[in-house]
Amino acid sequence: MKDGRPHALTVVLDGTTGAAARQARALGAFLRDGVSRAPEADAGPAEATGITLLFYADERDKERLVRLAPTRDVHLMRVPPRRPDLMAAALEALAGDAGAELFVFAGGPLATELATRLACRTGGGVVTDVLDAAIEEAALICRRGVYSGHLTGRVELGPRPWWVTTDAGWCDAPPSAPGEHRIAADTAWLAAEDDTGAAAPLADVEALESPSTSDLETARFLVVAGRGAGSRQGVERLEAAARRMGAAFGVTRPVAMNAWAPMDRLIGVSGTRAAPAVCLVAGASGAPAFLWGIERAGFIAAVDTDEHAAIVAEADVAAIDDGVAVLEALADLVAGEPAAPPA
Amino acid sequence: MRIAVGFKVTPDYEALRASDWARAAAGVVDTRYVRRVLDTFDESALELALRLRDARAAQGRETALAAFSVAGREADPFLKTLQALGFERAARMDASGAAAATGAGDEGDPGAGAGLDFAPSATAQVIAACARELGADVLLLGCRSGPGDDGTIPFFAAEMLGHPCVTQVTAIEPAGEDGLRVTFVADDGPVRATVRTPCVLAVGNAIVSHLRVPTLNDRLAAREAAIAGLQPADLDVDVVAAVGREPVVLTCLAPVDRSRAGVIARGATPAAKARALYEEHLRARLARL
Repeated sequence: MKDGRPHALTVVLDGTTGAAARQARALGAFLRDGVSRAPEADAGPAEATGITLLFYADERDKERLVRLAPTRDVHLMRVPPRRPDLMAAALEALAGDAGAELFVFAGGPLATELATRLACRTGGGVVTDVLDAAIEEAALICRRGVYSGHLTGRVELGPRPWWVTTDAGWCDAPPSAPGEHRIAADTAWLAAEDDTGAAAPLADVEALESPSTSDLETARFLVVAGRGAGSRQGVERLEAAARRMGAAFGVTRPVAMNAWAPMDRLIGVSGTRAAPAVCLVAGASGAPAFLWGIERAGFIAAVDTDEHAAIVAEADVAAIDDGVAVLEALADLVAGEPAAPPA
Repeated sequence: MRIAVGFKVTPDYEALRASDWARAAAGVVDTRYVRRVLDTFDESALELALRLRDARAAQGRETALAAFSVAGREADPFLKTLQALGFERAARMDASGAAAATGAGDEGDPGAGAGLDFAPSATAQVIAACARELGADVLLLGCRSGPGDDGTIPFFAAEMLGHPCVTQVTAIEPAGEDGLRVTFVADDGPVRATVRTPCVLAVGNAIVSHLRVPTLNDRLAAREAAIAGLQPADLDVDVVAAVGREPVVLTCLAPVDRSRAGVIARGATPAAKARALYEEHLRARLARL
C-alpha cells in the first residue's frame, strides 16, 4: 500500500454516496463473523491487519466517514462521485502492490462492478454475495446462494488477488463496536481523467426520490400477497384485509411484476427484508428469493391452495385454501377484537 | 443505433420439488421435466429494447434490434417470437463444447450453454464476441441469471468490450441520436442519468416485465426469417480454454433447509380455517404486539 506497509486484506468503502454507513455495518460484521482463517494462513485479527480503502468526494465528509471504517488503518482516496471508472483505476493501481491479496466490498451494484472489473484486469477471481469465507494457504473458499437461492454453492478461488462482495444479509448483522483509526494515506485519484481525457460514463445525473419502504422494514405485523391472489382485485382485497388488521402490506415479485401492486411493496431479495413478529403469507409458493425477505419473522402463517407448496413447510402454521378468502375471514376475527390497551 | 439483447432460456426452478433440490448434495439437479422459460430479467430487457425502438421511431430515429442466446435449440421458439416482434437479427451461439468438456450442468439434456453455467468470465467472453459480431452500440442483458446468479456477466462483458456498464436498469429513454437516458437503482437509491454509447446496460426490477405477444400476421411475416447459428470458433473464442481458465471453481452444492414446524390448521371452510389460525396460533401473538 501507499504507506509502505503491505496489507493482505483491503476493505473497500464508498463514501461518495449515501450508502457508506450501511456498507460499513455489513463489512464490519462480515470481518468479525464471516471470515475464518486456516491456522497456516493466520495473520491475526482482520481489523488489525487489514486496511480500509475509503473513497470520498467531499472534504467535509472525511471525519465522519473515517469513523465508519471497519479496520484501524484507513487509506483515504478522493474521487468525484459516481465515477466507478476512476475508482477501478485507483483499485487497479493498489492491487498491483505486493501483498494485496483479498479485497472485500459490501454487496451492491457498485461493488459488483468494481470487483468484477478488477478481477478481469488482475487475473484474480471474483465471488459476489458471499455468505462466509475461509482463507486457506493456497485458496479462498466461499459459500454463496445459487439456483435462485434454492441451493448453496461452495466455490474455490485460486489465483490472487481475490475480489469478494458480501451477501446483503450482512447489513442486518449486529454492528461492531467502534474502534480507533489511523490515517495511513490521503490521496486523490483525479489525474486519470486529466491525463486520458476519459469522459465520465454518466452525465446529467439526477437522484430520484426513493419510495418509502420504512413501514415494511419496521412492521411488527405484516401481510404478504403472492401470485395466488389471482388478480389485481385479489391483491386489493388482501391489502384491505391487512389494513383492517392493522398490518403492513407487501407483495411477492410476481405480483409486482404483474403490476398488481407498486414495486415499492416488494418483499424479498429484490425488495425489502422485513423482520415482523407475525407474518401472514397468502398465495405465495415460497420461492427462496421471497423467503429471504421474511425469514427473520418471529412467526409465519401461510395460506395456499397447494399443500405441497414450499411455503407450507417453511411456515410455522399453514392453512390449505384460498388465501384471499381465509385472510378476509381472519380480518373479521382480528378486527372484531377490542383494541389492546396501550402498553 | 444498433441494440443487441442477450437472453437466456432457463428451467423454471420454481417448478422443482423439494426432493429435487435435496438430491443436489450428490451434485445432480435434474431439470428435465420442468418447462423452459425466459429468464425474468432478460424478458424485461427484451421488452425494454422494443419500447426504446418505438420511442426512437416516434422521434424519426432508426434502431436496429438483434437478439441472441448462448443456447441449444431450446432457444429457437423464443428467437422465432422475437423475429416476429421485429428483432431483425436472431442468433444462437452453440457453446456445447464447454458442456462436453466440463461434464457440468443439469442432468439429462443440459442444453448447449450448460457448460457455462458457473463460468461467468467465459460466458461473458462469448457474449462480448456476439455483441461485436452484431455491431452493437448497446448491449442489453439481464442483471443476473440462474443458476450462477452472481451478477458479474454484464460487467465482465463491459470490461472485455471496453464499455461503461450500468446495472439495475429499470427504464431506458432516447436522449438524442446516440445517447440514452437511463433510470437505475444505485446503492443509494434510484438515479436517472444520460449514458453515452457504446455501453452495456443490465436490466433489473423494471416495471416493464412482460414481453409483448406478436400477432398471427407478425408471425407469418417472419416465418421465413432464418436464425443465425454461430459457433464460438467463428468468433475466435476458444470456449473450452476459457472455461478452463475460470479462476473460480464450484466445488459442491448443498440444499438450504428453511423449514419450520409446518403445522396444518384444519377446518371445513375458509372461515373455519381462519378461526383455527386465529384461536390456536395468532390471537395471543397479535395481542402482544
